[in-house]
Parts: sequence; structure tokens; C-alpha cells
Amino acid sequence: MMVGPAVAVLFLVTIAPLVFSLGVSFTNLQFSSPQPIRWVGIDNYFTLVTKDTRFQSALVRTLLFVLAGVATQTVIGYFIASLLSRVRRNRALLLTPILIPAVISPVVAGWQGRMIFNASYGPLNAILAQFGIQGPAWLASPQTSLVSVFLTDTWQWTPFLALVILAAIESQPQELIEAARLDGAHGWSMFRRITLPLILPVTGIGILLRGVDLFKTFDLVYILTQGGPGNSSETLTFFTYLVGFKFFNPSYASAMSFIQLLVITVAAKTFLGVMQKREGF
Amino acid sequence: MRRRFLFGSLRWIALLSILILFLFPLFWIISSSLKARGEFFTRPPIWIPSHAEWSNYPDSLGRGTAKGLTDSFTIAFSSMLVSLLLGTPAAYAIARFQVGKKNLAFWILSIRMFPPIATILPLFVIFRFAGLVDSYAGLVLSYTVFNLPFAIWMLKGFIEDLPREIEEAAKVDGASRFQIFRNIVVPLVAPGLVVVALFTFIFAWNDFAYAVIFSGSRVTPLPVVIAQFAGGHEILWGQISAAAIIAIVPALVLATFLQKYLTRGLTMGAIK
Repeated sequence: MMVGPAVAVLFLVTIAPLVFSLGVSFTNLQFSSPQPIRWVGIDNYFTLVTKDTRFQSALVRTLLFVLAGVATQTVIGYFIASLLSRVRRNRALLLTPILIPAVISPVVAGWQGRMIFNASYGPLNAILAQFGIQGPAWLASPQTSLVSVFLTDTWQWTPFLALVILAAIESQPQELIEAARLDGAHGWSMFRRITLPLILPVTGIGILLRGVDLFKTFDLVYILTQGGPGNSSETLTFFTYLVGFKFFNPSYASAMSFIQLLVITVAAKTFLGVMQKREGF
Repeated sequence: MRRRFLFGSLRWIALLSILILFLFPLFWIISSSLKARGEFFTRPPIWIPSHAEWSNYPDSLGRGTAKGLTDSFTIAFSSMLVSLLLGTPAAYAIARFQVGKKNLAFWILSIRMFPPIATILPLFVIFRFAGLVDSYAGLVLSYTVFNLPFAIWMLKGFIEDLPREIEEAAKVDGASRFQIFRNIVVPLVAPGLVVVALFTFIFAWNDFAYAVIFSGSRVTPLPVVIAQFAGGHEILWGQISAAAIIAIVPALVLATFLQKYLTRGLTMGAIK
């Protein structure tokens, strides 16, 4: 009774559309052409997996983007968290401002990226020029467009991971650390054998959330590069958006979104499995 | 002692540098929102405009930012209300009576994993059929995709933190389930309701993926206004930056109230 309305609404906005979309993905429905709707079986999926190189490179690009993002943000996040964990007084003074990026709209983050990465008039290349470095064209160059998206995402979400890792560091039992120190553990061996296993479960949650969100990156690409130049910064979700809403091919886009659901589910399950095997996650 | 002082100072220097690095982009938008037209195209760029061009703000408001502001507020506030109204009883039932066992809870959590595009695409077809594209109702309804699972999951956590004894005592006194919910659970979980209210408001306020698809000429949330501005032929740097600052402020104010709960909210209650 009490869950009824909530379940009904959630069913209406998640399960029903997904079932509908699954059905559409097996047809040739297109908004742009008047051809009659026909059942085409797994044709869309088959084309995507075997022929569509634009889709395949978007998939590879997105996976690399996720890996690079997660790795960089976790390492820098750990560095910031370990510095913060030693600050006892006035910590809120640092925490509040450093978390601002996590609560602002991705559109705003994208807009500031547009200004900062501006090759001719932006502050980034001006700073690089101070050190005698000729900065790249950032958003306008196929070599650096995705890097710019990655840097903007890293700016926005590293503080969040730092906060998660900080929570993990703070929840370590102090006795264990002391005991290990008395036994002569320090530096790398301390980190590898004591700290890392202790902070891994909580850090893992942060990494999982970040990985899922990086895989879904759409807003930043939309504002910063529109997937270009060429397809150099086209992520999977952005390509799906183009196919669905610009090329008016909802059946093909639906098939794409189901492949994404599959990839994300398998990746998340594998990650959770590995974490669980390591210890009670 | 001296060694500790040295390390302490180094740590603060490192932390302050990090802080400057993360706040610099925001400083840049603020500075840009106060620059005059010609000040955007100089080399090297102007860091602090010599004269603050405040007129960018009213000018930006007049070009659609004001409409974006009221639309965003209407939608975010409605989404918050809907999430709480539907989410609180559901969270209570799941937390206390294990309704739906693990499957329901798992489904609600897994919605968090969906790429928005997977639901946006079919929802768009359905909304077009139902006349919900370019309407407040359509956007509020589509935001339940992420806000309702969030509300249920967070409130479930908050309700599980409450001691059971009070509810059991009320039951012995003959109170109905609904009376217990309304007169005992809701007042006790009020702080949790505030936290969830603020988060759902911010999430709806910041959204772009759903907004860009489901909005049109009648409904224009602020992020969409900014994106349209930025994608136009003539880019009004100062006015867009002013709009961006206007978009940041409400989220920022609410987030400072949430300070203590920020990790809990952003990890969907996984880390308290």
C-alpha cells in the first residue's frame, strides 16, 4: 500500500520505457523515413557489433576514458585525502570550498572549460606560455579534445573521491596502525600491507560510482566539444544521443543503449565480484 | 618539534595550492562575468577586470536567464515534493516491513546505474504521444527516474537508524500503521527529510541530460539556457558567465547546509 505509488511511478519511468525500447531495438523504426515498421530481429545488434566502426571506436574510447578517469582521480584523491587526514583543526575551512565542484551543474563546469581551454584567449595557455610552453588547441584539436573533457571531469569529481577516501582513512582502526608501526612497517610496506586493504572496501564504493558516472558522460561532451573535432571526443552516450535525436534512428539507438546497459552491468558485477573476493565488501 | 612544524607548514602549503587549483575555474567565471565585451579578446588574458561590468547580470537575466531561473526553480521544487511524498512511505515500508524483500531494494538501487540515454529515448517517444514534451510535468516526471530511487534509498537508511521501540510502543497502544507513520516516524526522521529534500532539489536543478531533450520553447531550465547561449553564433561571454554564476549560487547555498551529509548523499548512503 505504502510502496504502491512509488513503485507505480518508477515502473512507468524505468521498466515500461525499457521494455518498449527493447522491443523497438528489434525493429527498423526510423523517424526520418516513411518505410513501414518491420521486425528485423537482431540485425541492429549485429551491425553494431560487427560493422559499425564508429560505434566500436566510441566504445573503446569510452572505456579508456573511464579507466583514465578512475585511475587519475583515485590517485590524486588519495593524495588529497591523506593530507587532509592529518589536519585536525579548521578542517571544515578546507572541506567546504574544495567540494564546490561536486555540487555545481555539469553545464557550468563545461562552460568554464570552454573559457579555460580557449587556445588563444584562455588562461591555461597563457600560464603555459609563462613557462615557455606552446599550449595545444585543446578543444579544437583531435589529439586533446577528449583530454580536455577528462581534465574537466577530473576537476569536478576528484574532491568527491578525496572525501570518500578520507572517510575510509578515518575509519581505520588506530590500534592496527600502531601495532604495524611497532612491528616496523613504514612507507610503502605500510601502505601496501596495512592501509590499502583497510581503505579498499569504502574506496571501492567511490570508484564504482565514479566508474559508472564516467561511462555515462554526456553533458560535458555536449557543452565542451559536441563529440568533435571529427569523432575524437565522442563518448558512447553522446553517440547514442546523436543517433536517436539527430539522425532520428530510435531503433538503432535503442540497440546501442542496451549494449551499454550490458557493458555497465557486466563491468559493475565483475568489479563487485573482485572486491568481494578480496574480503567482505 | 621543529621537524613537525616544518611538515605541518608543508602540508598546509600543499593543501592551499590544491585549493587554489580547484577554485581557480570558479574565480575565472566570476571574473569573466564582470568583464566588458572587449576584455575577452586580449593576450595575455585579463585576470581581474579594471572596472566591474555589473550590467552583464541584468542583461543576462533579460535574455532568458530570468525565465530559466523561475523554470528551474519550479521544476526542482516540484521534483523535490514528489520525491518526498512518494518516497517517504515507500522507504518506511521497505525499511520496516521488508516489502518486496531484496528484489525491490535492488531494483531501486540499480536504476542508479542506468545511462540516462537508455530511458530518455523511449520516454521521449512516450512523452510525445502523451503531450508531455516541453512541459513542467514531463520534466518533473522524468526526474523521478533518479530522484525517487535516491529518496527511497536514503530515507530507508535514515529510518533504519531510528530506534524501533517507540513505534512498537505506539502499536501496543493501538495506533494504526498510518498513524504510526504520520505521528511518529515522519517527525523523527525530519532531519533526514531535509537532507533528502535539499539533495533532490540540487540534482534536479543541475540536470542537463533530461532537460535538453524534454524542454522546448515553453519550458527552458537554466542549464539549457546556458547551453543554448554557449552554442549560439555570437557568444556573449560575459552574459553566459553571469548566468553560470546565477546557476551556481542556489546549489552552493544548499550544499553548505548539507556539509555533514555530503558524502552520505553523494554515495547514496553507502558511506555515512
